[in-house]
Amino acid sequence: MAATTPADAKLVAQQFPTTPRASRARHILGYWRHPVAQAILKAFLTVFVTTSITFFLIRLMPGNPIDIKIDELTKDGLMTYQEARAQAASLFSIDLEKPILEQYISFVGNLAHGNLGYSFVSQGTPVTAIVLAVLPWTLFAVGTGLLLSFSVGVFLGLFAAYNRNKAIDHILSIGGSVISAVPSYFIALLIVIVLGVELRIIPYTQMRGAQSAGIPVGFTPQFIGDVLYHAILPVSVFFLATLGHWILGMKSATVNALEEDYVNAARARGLSDGRIMTAYVGRNAVLPLITQFAITAGYAIGGSILIEQYFVYQGVGLRLQAALLQRDYPVMQGILLMVTLAVVIANLLADLLYSRLDPRIGRAGGATGT
Amino acid sequence: MQAAIGFLRLLSKRPSGLIGFIGIVFFLVLAFIAPIFVPNQELADVNSIYQTPSLEHFLGTDNSGRDVLNQIVQGGREIISVALVTALLTTLIATTLGAVSAIVGGKVDAVLVAIADIVLTIPYLIVLIVISALARPTNFLALAIVLSLLGWAGLMRQVRAQVLTLKERDYVEAARSLDLGLFHIVFREILPNMRSYIVIHFVLAMTGAIYAQVALIVLGLVPFSGKNWALMLYFANSQGAFYFRDAFWYVFSPIFAIILLQLSLVLFVNALEDIFNPRLRSS
Amino acid sequence: MTPILSVRDLSIDYRTSRGPVHAVRNVSFDIAKGETVAIIGESGSGKTTLAISLIRLSPRSARITKGQILYTNDRETVDIRTLPDDELRHYRWSECAMVFQAALNSFNPVINVWEQFADTGRAHGMKDTKEIHARAQELLDLVHLDPERVLKAYPHELSGGMKQRVLIALSLMLEPQLIILDEPTTALDILTQRSIIDLLGTLRKKLGFSMVFISHDLSIAAELADRMITMYAGTVVERASVTDLFYRPRHPYSVGLLRAVPRVSGAMGAVESIPGSPPDLIRLPPGCTYIPRCPLAIAACAEREPDLVPVDTPEHEARCIRWKTVAEQVGTAEVAVAEKIATA
Repeated sequence: MAATTPADAKLVAQQFPTTPRASRARHILGYWRHPVAQAILKAFLTVFVTTSITFFLIRLMPGNPIDIKIDELTKDGLMTYQEARAQAASLFSIDLEKPILEQYISFVGNLAHGNLGYSFVSQGTPVTAIVLAVLPWTLFAVGTGLLLSFSVGVFLGLFAAYNRNKAIDHILSIGGSVISAVPSYFIALLIVIVLGVELRIIPYTQMRGAQSAGIPVGFTPQFIGDVLYHAILPVSVFFLATLGHWILGMKSATVNALEEDYVNAARARGLSDGRIMTAYVGRNAVLPLITQFAITAGYAIGGSILIEQYFVYQGVGLRLQAALLQRDYPVMQGILLMVTLAVVIANLLADLLYSRLDPRIGRAGGATGT
Repeated sequence: MQAAIGFLRLLSKRPSGLIGFIGIVFFLVLAFIAPIFVPNQELADVNSIYQTPSLEHFLGTDNSGRDVLNQIVQGGREIISVALVTALLTTLIATTLGAVSAIVGGKVDAVLVAIADIVLTIPYLIVLIVISALARPTNFLALAIVLSLLGWAGLMRQVRAQVLTLKERDYVEAARSLDLGLFHIVFREILPNMRSYIVIHFVLAMTGAIYAQVALIVLGLVPFSGKNWALMLYFANSQGAFYFRDAFWYVFSPIFAIILLQLSLVLFVNALEDIFNPRLRSS
Repeated sequence: MTPILSVRDLSIDYRTSRGPVHAVRNVSFDIAKGETVAIIGESGSGKTTLAISLIRLSPRSARITKGQILYTNDRETVDIRTLPDDELRHYRWSECAMVFQAALNSFNPVINVWEQFADTGRAHGMKDTKEIHARAQELLDLVHLDPERVLKAYPHELSGGMKQRVLIALSLMLEPQLIILDEPTTALDILTQRSIIDLLGTLRKKLGFSMVFISHDLSIAAELADRMITMYAGTVVERASVTDLFYRPRHPYSVGLLRAVPRVSGAMGAVESIPGSPPDLIRLPPGCTYIPRCPLAIAACAEREPDLVPVDTPEHEARCIRWKTVAEQVGTAEVAVAEKIATA
């Protein structure tokens, strides 16, 4: 294309702003600036920080669990202090003879090999095995509940925004505020005491647990049906506990998006209302909610400890509660680590999804640079 | 005074916000003023345990025959105090760090933002539970400190973003060229312009603190003694009262009180957002 | 020949808590085939409200209280105000396209330029993707952009000038008879403004569409327009050919706008802005709305709002009872001003 006027020359310059060498240099330096690399780095740091905090709390707090364990082991005189200390050390998989910093380094080293120590209570059972046995149940219940509430909430929020100030909008907005004000654990408790104990609508004793005894595990309709049956209550709680948040969030994001110039421009172009609602309004409005999804997932998994107890649902939360009661510190620590890992991975996935859905993120080079 | 009247006028156009505001006032009165006039009733009465509501006991009785209504009146003070202190600390940490981060910029900014990002990704509740189990906060202040140390990051990022935009405005430029110093710029020029943000986040921090502390107390991780709605639930749980039909009012009353308090705060904060964000303002 | 667009006695109110804002009042004008009409005025004069009502895109708070917007193509004449929704969708873009004031923000940020072309084509029954693609390439070529690069790009990857070119290309997609341009160059630097104006001039010659050009910048409007309409306080205060308006303005507000034009040459001395601000459109005074700012106002001006009356020639109208005085006062100095603008 020939630059015929000064303005055209400027245009050419705009279209080819960088020399190949400059862009290559940016590529090499750019690896750490790449959003995916940054997200992974952030994820790694998050796990590292939470584990480190718990490590030092366990080791350095007065009346720390290791000293308590040693006291407990030496109390009845069956073990010498040295033996007890060695056993406590092996249960935590820390070498107590070393200075704290070296302990910390070897702890992190063990961690890297997947060694989280052994349970205090069920002697000889690796913490990793305990956590892996319960984590899938929680992830399943939380994941299903959240995905359901996200889709339903986004739909209702969009609907409310499109029917702004009509009765349905007021009902959804006030309803959303009300259920978002109820703490998740109270939703679970109210289901049990109102629908279960008081009104006897729900056979909550039958629905306890994550699965029924005597049904063989496998991809049989019977097993899957049973798993779903037991998951209904926890899934409904995660669903209800987050639904209001999505309705209100999507409504306000949609109201904002509807005012954007590009929505008006799309109308001017004669696009159908359906296309505008999905590709123009909805897609832009839902973007900020995707980043919130991961944060909400973190809250919900954390909340599972407060919810699973009411349904005796054998997930992470129930196991953690047992560990708290039994002062089974390695298990507590292992669960904390795994849950952090799960949440951080959820965050990572949300970040990746976000950068795929929003071209403004992570494609800084774009049409001109690539 | 005039500002307060103007604010109430704006609020009165939003019925749900007004209800929230009245709710908050009600709970403040219930928690801090009512106990002065209603004496604490410790008297147990084994002949009237788990009673359903009656004229004598409006909300029934608990496992040792004590009046539930009396416990509700007595039990709000601690919860609301912890919520207020936590919100205060959270706001203080978040605005200070956010403003410093935005104004100083450079490496300080990068580090603070990175820390905030990490704190934000930490699964708050489970970390809180494990930390409480290990560190055993035994008084309100310790609990409030733990809660605010985990809760400042979201507001900090927003304050930072706000300060970054406000920073460019003329009056801040003017203050800077007069060399009035960081402290002056932050506290005299920038923060007063962020009042709406800070108020909203203060209320949100309160709801977060109520959620978390009730969870911790019900789990028995914060060994408080005395009278407290969450503690009522802890005792109810340990007595198996959740599954006892006659105990419904005993269990339901503190739950309802906490939900109503949360709802008041949420309705109020939604109205605040509505007032401060003209785009969302209903016509 | 019937004009392709005929706006008749159009009035638009905005509902507010203080009462209706009379944003557009009794506006009438015609646009002939191939003609360009510039609507000029300060912000708040109602020109954008008028422009968006032409494709019925007014915000919900706006209400057309009376008048007609008659559009004529080779088959029929329709009133845009009462057009059924499906026909309105067809009318938008394939009959009448719009290039927005905030072109910088006219594209959906999350889909690339190609998809915005494809969406537009599909919305108007173009089913063949290849056909849409070929058309998009042709049009981008026409606006001097590299189609291969630009189609793949996302809006944020384009500069303001490029985006405006893409939007112009997109507006031509369905060969509309009429294009409404609402301040199309406002957000651009002077060099880019120039090239966009040149481009629009060339395209009009080549394709023969009509344009409604909304601007507060007289010098830019003058370059493209055949006729000009001055709007003040929601109503037309003067209507004339470009030459008449520049050399023989007959409304004091037009004179004020001419004097307020910044001139590159600068030789004429300081730019004069019009003192005062537009009236409150909720509580309009009974007389002429320009009185508070008018140097020529007399008691009679306040009696009733003047009518739009022919001055000099039947094609030149002004809403001022003192237009003869204006004519006397606009001396040779004004002509010189106009010449400077015209040649700038």
